[in-house]
Amino acid sequence: MKWRNRVLGASLLLAAVGCVSGETQHERGEALYGYCEQCHGDAGQGNADFRTPAIAGLQDWYIEAQLQKFRIGARGDHPDDLDGLRMRPMSRTLATDGEVALVSAYVASLDPVDPPDTMVGGDPVAGRVLFNTCIECHGERAEGRRDKSAPSLLNQSDWYLVAQLHKFRSGIRGADTLDTTGIQMRPNALALENDQAVRDVVAYIETLDN
Amino acid sequence: MFELLDLKQGSSYAGDIDQLILMITIITGVWFLLTAGMFFWLLFRFRAKKDESGQYVTGDEPQLKRWVTWPHMLILLCDIAVIVMAVNVWYTVKQDLPEADATIRIIAQQWAWTFVHPGPDGELDTPDDIRTVDRLYLQEGITYHYKLSSVDVLHDFSVPIFRLKQDAVPGREITGWFKPTVQGEYGIQCAEMCGIGHGIMGARLILQSASDHEFWIQSNSPTPVAQVTGQ
Repeated sequence: MKWRNRVLGASLLLAAVGCVSGETQHERGEALYGYCEQCHGDAGQGNADFRTPAIAGLQDWYIEAQLQKFRIGARGDHPDDLDGLRMRPMSRTLATDGEVALVSAYVASLDPVDPPDTMVGGDPVAGRVLFNTCIECHGERAEGRRDKSAPSLLNQSDWYLVAQLHKFRSGIRGADTLDTTGIQMRPNALALENDQAVRDVVAYIETLDN
Repeated sequence: MFELLDLKQGSSYAGDIDQLILMITIITGVWFLLTAGMFFWLLFRFRAKKDESGQYVTGDEPQLKRWVTWPHMLILLCDIAVIVMAVNVWYTVKQDLPEADATIRIIAQQWAWTFVHPGPDGELDTPDDIRTVDRLYLQEGITYHYKLSSVDVLHDFSVPIFRLKQDAVPGREITGWFKPTVQGEYGIQCAEMCGIGHGIMGARLILQSASDHEFWIQSNSPTPVAQVTGQ
């Protein structure tokens, strides 16, 4: 009887382990996304009221890099970055690099959602000329280039792009020495002369969504 | 007693608050033991016995009534004692505002703390102010005024080692004070439910000696940054 009990016990243990490991990486990423969902929405569509951008379908390497920046304080650590300061502690709920990778992969797997336009006063024709500066890294269609660590700008909230460009220009973002790619972005944002130029280039980027 | 529990007291009024809590604990503890003891003694003393029927007691007789009225009056006296001690501590912590040696600004938001320290000039709201996120640097042994505000929802600035809790209310700037008494690094937390990130809205308090704090101020004083047009 003793050996039978041992076999039964071992079988139950193996079954339990099987159940735990049966959770796919996608499911684990989805479970981790539950925390993000509160602000970014169940489809990753973002929420202008919460000042959270659309993240659905962004490249996984970009999401992973940004989450790591938030975690180490390379982004979202400036006293004037009110939105970033909200994101920073949330990024730290991800306990390991593995969890960061899993949730990034899950977000990347979501279907992109084109957020509604909220910005007014941008001139896409003038923005087309200004966008020439961005093409080198973000690509001609703003699709992003991994070799330049530059994300896709497609299907992104216009208010978010405006806010980020202003943050880069004022040094709220991209001024931390740990933010090596942000530092590269900052002089390009500073090349935009004023708020109108920022709106113009974002207005042009929004036309690329279609 | 609090030393035995490793509850370090880090502000000039932490001891007052601990004493108040200790007194309330003793008073309520003594009454709890008395009432529980009396209850179980009565259960035992007047338990069911053979050949003895139960007796209905109205409680109108003076010799029975005094079992209620005397403890009642004693408890009222205890209440008055607690109120006197509590008001005294409340006045010290919240009503009184001793002259400040330095003033800091504390800004709460979902889910971070921004601290504004006076720079080398010792004055707040000047260009040499030092702003930090989630790290508050203070000097031991001097009196601070704090100006607490919130940019979004209700928060509560809670520093357990100071025994301090103060709500941060959107639209209001609340002034309070504390005087740190021990060096070291301690925790700051939000003690008011403020959203999904409430539980991780923590910060660190670094209490330094005068020389260390002066060095920190000199090392972290911001250099002028060129203003950029736009937002």
